[in-house]
Amino acid sequence: MGEPIRRTFRALRIVASRWDGRVILVATGLAYLIGYSFAVGDLASTGRGGVSLLVVDAPLDRALQSTGYLSFEPIAALEAGPVTYLFSPIDAGLAVVLAALVGINVALTYLGLVQPRACGMEPSVGLLAAVPALLSGAACCGPVVLIAIGVKATGVLITGFQLLLPIAVVLLTLSVVLVGRRIDPTPA
Amino acid sequence: MNDRVTRRGFVATVGAIAIAGCSGVTGDRSADRSTAVGDSATSVATTSTASGEGSLPPLADRALVLSIEPPKLREAAVSGGVSKDGIPAIDQPRFETADQVGSRLAPGDVVFGVARNGVAKAYPQSILVHHEVCNDTLDGTPVSVTYCPLTGTAVGFERGETTFGVSGRLVNDNLIMYDRATEHWWPQVLATAVPGWNADGGTSDTSDGRTNESGSTRTKATESTRPDATGSGTANATIGQSLREFRVVWTTWERWREQFPDTWVLTEDTGYIRDYGRDPYGSYNPRNGYYEPESEPLFPPLDTDDRYPTKAVVMGARTADGAIAFHKRSLRREGVIAGALDGTPHVGVHDDRLDTAYVYRNPDRASVTATADGVQVADTVHSPDELPLERVHAFDAMWFAWHGFYPGTSVHG
Repeated sequence: MGEPIRRTFRALRIVASRWDGRVILVATGLAYLIGYSFAVGDLASTGRGGVSLLVVDAPLDRALQSTGYLSFEPIAALEAGPVTYLFSPIDAGLAVVLAALVGINVALTYLGLVQPRACGMEPSVGLLAAVPALLSGAACCGPVVLIAIGVKATGVLITGFQLLLPIAVVLLTLSVVLVGRRIDPTPA
Repeated sequence: MNDRVTRRGFVATVGAIAIAGCSGVTGDRSADRSTAVGDSATSVATTSTASGEGSLPPLADRALVLSIEPPKLREAAVSGGVSKDGIPAIDQPRFETADQVGSRLAPGDVVFGVARNGVAKAYPQSILVHHEVCNDTLDGTPVSVTYCPLTGTAVGFERGETTFGVSGRLVNDNLIMYDRATEHWWPQVLATAVPGWNADGGTSDTSDGRTNESGSTRTKATESTRPDATGSGTANATIGQSLREFRVVWTTWERWREQFPDTWVLTEDTGYIRDYGRDPYGSYNPRNGYYEPESEPLFPPLDTDDRYPTKAVVMGARTADGAIAFHKRSLRREGVIAGALDGTPHVGVHDDRLDTAYVYRNPDRASVTATADGVQVADTVHSPDELPLERVHAFDAMWFAWHGFYPGTSVHG
C-alpha cells in the first residue's frame, strides 16, 4: 500500500477518534444523502399527510430489476407527512457510498484545518467532486436537469449523464486520498 | 419482462402505522379499495398467460402513411436513458369507482378516457406518465392504452394475446413500444412496426419506399389488402404494417366524470412503486415545465416547423393516404374547421363536453356547422362524436411531434 493511502487511513482513524470529526462526517454525509435523494427523485415533497408504507411482493426480485444504468426498481414507498421516499436498495446503497465519501472529504478537510501540521489543504476539491452525482437524476425519459433547463439531449449527452455517478465516486475517492495524504497523522 | 407481481400494502393511519398487508400469494386486498372490475379481471387472467410467446398483435387492414421508411426510423431511434422495461408497463391494472377516487384526482387533472359498449374507464395522466403503457381488457378485447409524455399523445391499440412493453428508445421524442411476441418496435404515434431487437441490422424487404403526393412514403401494405391481418403472419412481414387503434380521449377528470359518472378509474395499485404525486416533466394542472407551449423538445425532432409553438396541441389524424392536423385552440374557438387530407375534404369538430375534437372524412362536402346544440350536418343537429360521416382516428399531439413525423401534413386553424 502506498504511503498516501497509509496516511489517508491514519487520518481517517483520527477523524473517527474525535467527536467533532465524527459529527462533521455524519452531518455532512447525511445532508448530502438528503440532497442527493431529492436531486435524483427518490425523495420528494409530495406526501399527502399521514404515514404509510407500501412494499412490493417479491422485493428481492424487484430490487434487482434495472431501470437504467446504475438504477434499479424501488421496492418500497414511505410517506411521512409531506415527504415521500422511494426505497430502492441498490440505489440507496450507492447513495450511502456517495454520502460517506462526501462526509469523509469534508471531515478530512476539517481535520486538515485544525491540525497545525497539515499543509496545502484544498477544501473545495471534495465538494466539487460531489456535484456530478447531483446531476445524475433521470426522469422516465432523459436526465431531469436537461428537461429543467430546456437543453436538447443527444445520444452522447445521455451516455455522458449515465457516467456521472461513477465519475463522482472516482473523483470523491481520489479527493479523499488527495486530502488525507496531506494530513500529518502524528498528534499535534 | 417484468414480473407480474402484486403490491403488498401496509397502510397506516395518521399517527400510527397499522399493518394491513395483503397476501401476495392469494391476491387478497382487504386493505385495498381497488378491484379487478369486469374487464380488468379478464385482463389479469389474460396478461398472466401472455408470456411474450404469443401471436402478433392484430394488424389494421391498411398500413398508415410513413414519411420515413421503417429501417430509417430504427436508425433515428435514440436511447432515452432507461433500459428495456425500465419504464414498466402496467400489466395488472386495477380500478376503482369514481366515488372512491376522493381527492386523489383534482377536477382539472388530465385523464385519458375510453368508453366502449357502456363501460367507461379513465387512466390518470399522473399514473401513465410513470408507465406509458397499460395492458388492459376493454369489453372483452385485449388492449393497450398508451401515453407518451414527451409528445403529448395518448393512443389505444388492440394487442391480441401479447402485451406491449416500453423499449426505452425514442424516435422523434416519441415512445417506442415493443410487442412481447415478436419484439418489433412500434413507435406510438406511427402505430407501425419498425425493425426491433429481432432484426439483424434493421433491413426489411417489405417496404418499397414509394412516395405519395404529399411527400410521404408508403409501404406495400398501403396498396394492397394484407394477406393475413389476424396477427398470425411472420415477424418480418409485419414491418411497415400498422396496429388496430382506438380513440383515447384526452380530457380532465371533471369533464370525464360528468359525462361518465359510472366510470372506472385506474388506481395507483399498479404493482410498482412510483411517486404518483410527482410528474418528472412538469404539470398540466396548471401547465408548466416540459409541457409549456414554447418549451423545447427533449431530443431534436425529425423535422421542424414554426407555424405554431413547439408544443401547441393539434388534433392529428393520419390514414394510408396522408396526414391532417387541426390546431386545437382554434377548433375550441370556432367549433368546426374544414380541411383536406391528400385532396379529400375533411372536417374537424370540437366537443365542448370533453374539450376534445373529432375528425371526419367529408368527401361529398356536406355542410357542417357548429350550433348551440351540437353540430349541424345538412339539416340535422348531431352530437359532435356522432356525425353521419366517416370518422377518422385522431388524437391530441404536440405540434413539433406531429410535424416531425408527418412533415407533409396539412394543418388547419
